[in-house]
Amino acid sequence: MSILEVKGLKKIYTTRLGGNQIQALSSVSFSVEQGEYVAIMGESGSGKTTLLNILAALDKPTGGEVILDGNSIWKVKEKEISAFRRDNLGFVFQDFNLLDTFSIQDNIFLPLVLAGKEYSEMRDRLMPIAKKLKITDILNKYPYEVSGGQKQRTAVARALITRPKLVLADEPTGALDSKATEGLLKVFNEINEDGQTILMVTHSARAASHAARVMFIKDGEVYHQLYRGESTNKDMYRKISDTLTLLATGGEKDA
Amino acid sequence: MHKLFYPKLAANNIKKNYKTYIPYFITCVITISMYYIMNSLSKNNGIESLVGDASIQFMMLLGCRVIAIFAVIFLFYTNSFLMKRRKKEFGLFNILGMEKKHLTRVIFYETLYIAAGSLVTGILFGVVLDKIMYLAIMKFMGIEVPLGFYIAWESMLAAAELFAVIFLLLFLYSLFQIRLSKPIELLKGGNVGEKEPKAKWFIALLGVVCLAIGYYIAVTTKNPIAAILLFFVAVILVIIGTYLLFTAGSIVMLKLLRKNKSYYYKANHFVSVSGMIYRMKQNAAGLASICILSTMVLVMISSTSSMMIGLDSIMETRSPNDIAMYYRFDDSYEQGTADSQQVRRQVERALAERGATPVNTISYTYLAFSAAQQDDYFNTDLAWVDSGLEDVSNLFFVTLDEYNRFTGENQTLTDNEILVAGNRKAFGYDQLKVFDKNYIIKEQLEEFPGNGVMASDVAKSYFVVVNDTDEIMNLYQLQKEAYADNASTIQSCYGFDLDADDDTQIEIYKDLFNQLAETQFNVMIESRADIRASLMAVYGGLFFLGIFLGVLFVMATVLIIYYKQITEGYEDKERFEIMQKVGMSHDEVKRSIRSQILTVFFLPLMMAGIHIIFAFPIIREILAVLSLTDVKLYITCTIGCFAVFSVLYVLIYILTAKAYYRIVKR
Repeated sequence: MSILEVKGLKKIYTTRLGGNQIQALSSVSFSVEQGEYVAIMGESGSGKTTLLNILAALDKPTGGEVILDGNSIWKVKEKEISAFRRDNLGFVFQDFNLLDTFSIQDNIFLPLVLAGKEYSEMRDRLMPIAKKLKITDILNKYPYEVSGGQKQRTAVARALITRPKLVLADEPTGALDSKATEGLLKVFNEINEDGQTILMVTHSARAASHAARVMFIKDGEVYHQLYRGESTNKDMYRKISDTLTLLATGGEKDA
Repeated sequence: MHKLFYPKLAANNIKKNYKTYIPYFITCVITISMYYIMNSLSKNNGIESLVGDASIQFMMLLGCRVIAIFAVIFLFYTNSFLMKRRKKEFGLFNILGMEKKHLTRVIFYETLYIAAGSLVTGILFGVVLDKIMYLAIMKFMGIEVPLGFYIAWESMLAAAELFAVIFLLLFLYSLFQIRLSKPIELLKGGNVGEKEPKAKWFIALLGVVCLAIGYYIAVTTKNPIAAILLFFVAVILVIIGTYLLFTAGSIVMLKLLRKNKSYYYKANHFVSVSGMIYRMKQNAAGLASICILSTMVLVMISSTSSMMIGLDSIMETRSPNDIAMYYRFDDSYEQGTADSQQVRRQVERALAERGATPVNTISYTYLAFSAAQQDDYFNTDLAWVDSGLEDVSNLFFVTLDEYNRFTGENQTLTDNEILVAGNRKAFGYDQLKVFDKNYIIKEQLEEFPGNGVMASDVAKSYFVVVNDTDEIMNLYQLQKEAYADNASTIQSCYGFDLDADDDTQIEIYKDLFNQLAETQFNVMIESRADIRASLMAVYGGLFFLGIFLGVLFVMATVLIIYYKQITEGYEDKERFEIMQKVGMSHDEVKRSIRSQILTVFFLPLMMAGIHIIFAFPIIREILAVLSLTDVKLYITCTIGCFAVFSVLYVLIYILTAKAYYRIVKR
């Protein structure tokens, strides 16, 4: 069963001055199955971020449809969109987006507090997640007191605690060193094994090589897809590199 | 490189940062023009010769000093704020290849522009406003002055000198800040990870204690002389207490709220409480300053305005008669009585020559001296009287004959009996002991138709009616032994009203004064109109000073608030965005931020209100010393001032909040 279905997504920006139109997405269609781990790759300006913003209901498409678990997200009323986002989607950002005013624990609680959950329930939900992400020791610290890897794991915990249907990750390893990157990717694999659907946007081949499927976007379209099948991370990495080279040198599809 | 590169760059920088520079420039201008005005008023000979009193000038001079000190502190505050905001910009220049000596040049030109611009504008404003102020003061005191333009070159020079020095110091301070830092630090600017403040229980507690003691002093002090001394102690305690409470107390309280899980983990509390902890850390000192400045302004303006308004009722207590004379007796009561009669006749003759008739005349003879009151005993030991300001009371003796004649009553007393009345409160005992005497109080009188000199005295006074002249002479001798050189004499008072306007009255008074000065008699004379004029000068001066400093403090408040809003706007913008990404709706974020701003904004005003309520009892005592006993008037004035101030405050809020939302909105 597909949890996310994207049909013919189109986005045209109009520049503020002069009214020039820029097509960010021309026609993007794909679907993500329940429990899948998908990476979306593409160069800067390929439309990755636009796609993610639309999936996150932060931006409106010019045309097309996004169906999350059977509901078209653009039919959700403006007032309920925040609640919808909070209940159905989890976010992990490149620059963590943790609030310095909250402790690690409170940062993780934030979406639940906004949803009006009881403290005891929040606590119950937090414990297994914190254990899995190995952040139990730092729960009472503040974001400025912990390392980048720990920050990103906190952000993951915050994304998971609402038990979202889909976790959207935007360049999650972009601000991490290689060791922290490896740790985070392992975490992603673990939570994916537990059944969490993940959609990750990245331009790191290494990050993408952990996913079960990699989609390449070029010029506002899905250009190519790679399925892991039985291949190892290393094979996957090589395949991704080849594809990226092809994309960069402008070779023909599947050539 | 082109010669004009740096001057041009500096000009551009100011233009680019107009949002922060315009308020700064305006502050400089207002401070300079205020300083000029105060300075010129304090040196304006016109005021002294017209009012005939130097006290107003002295107050202006004092105000001048206050403004100077204030200017230094305040301009440094705003300048450091500016530099903090601009560190990133300097960091960029630095990385783009400007050496620190080049930055120095840029900053030099910037400071020069601001200094020259604000000095010229400030003094120009000052010259115009000075004339208006001068006319207003004169109008206020009922003195007509011819219109004319007056430029105080001396004051201009003083202002230019003072502010040139201040700007030089600001320039050096800016350089110091730039020179100390590395480019990377400059680039990061104020963005260094702010740590969560620690809850300082001890300091918060100390703040509470300071405030409590300050309040306690203000509420319990009943003795007016002690009140003036203790007032300063209370003020300092309250200032310290306010600072400590705002800095430490607020954080302790917020952290307590955070510990309460069921309260804290609610959508609206969650964001507000944690946000406030940070806000308070950065703003506590500024907020405490606003609170104290507001309190000062309010107390100053409300008390001086009530004195201005209450002047006539003050005069009623202070001098019941238009003109009053006090003749000092020598050792003989009979001789004294005879001489005082002679003085009186001479005065009546002089009045008749001028065609003036004394009406509502009163005359009585009394003995007055002070003693340290210990319950019903009045201690005349000099050591006590001198040391214990605490309970000094004035005793004011008249004979029964005088009293009966004066009031038209027909009381009788024995040698040991007395009648007593108090000017501030009733004498609540059955006996009155002084020296070796032990008087039985036959009756507590409601009041004794006043004696101006006594009524205006700072201390409590008791009016005592004794049986006869022997008793008074006896007391006179006893106090003469006790006080030696400081002993009082028996005096005869003669007072009357005149059916004439104030100017004529003052003329007559001066005439009488000169005539009596030529006689051999030891006599003192005073005129209500004359006293009124000099009181008016003092109160008017205080009132103007109040308004002046009030305007200055309000300006400071506005600026502190404005800068706070702007700084926070930039910081909140990021938070605002993150929260929206995590699933907080636009409205929710807005609501939470508004509630935080409102709290931060109105906390000082609320605290100022509480300070004023607690200051009320002690200020009432102090005003009583200044003969203002109309409590209702003071309350009305205070409420009025508070209301006006609040409206002003709300206006500032609306204006600055707009600037804030413009920054936060994306």
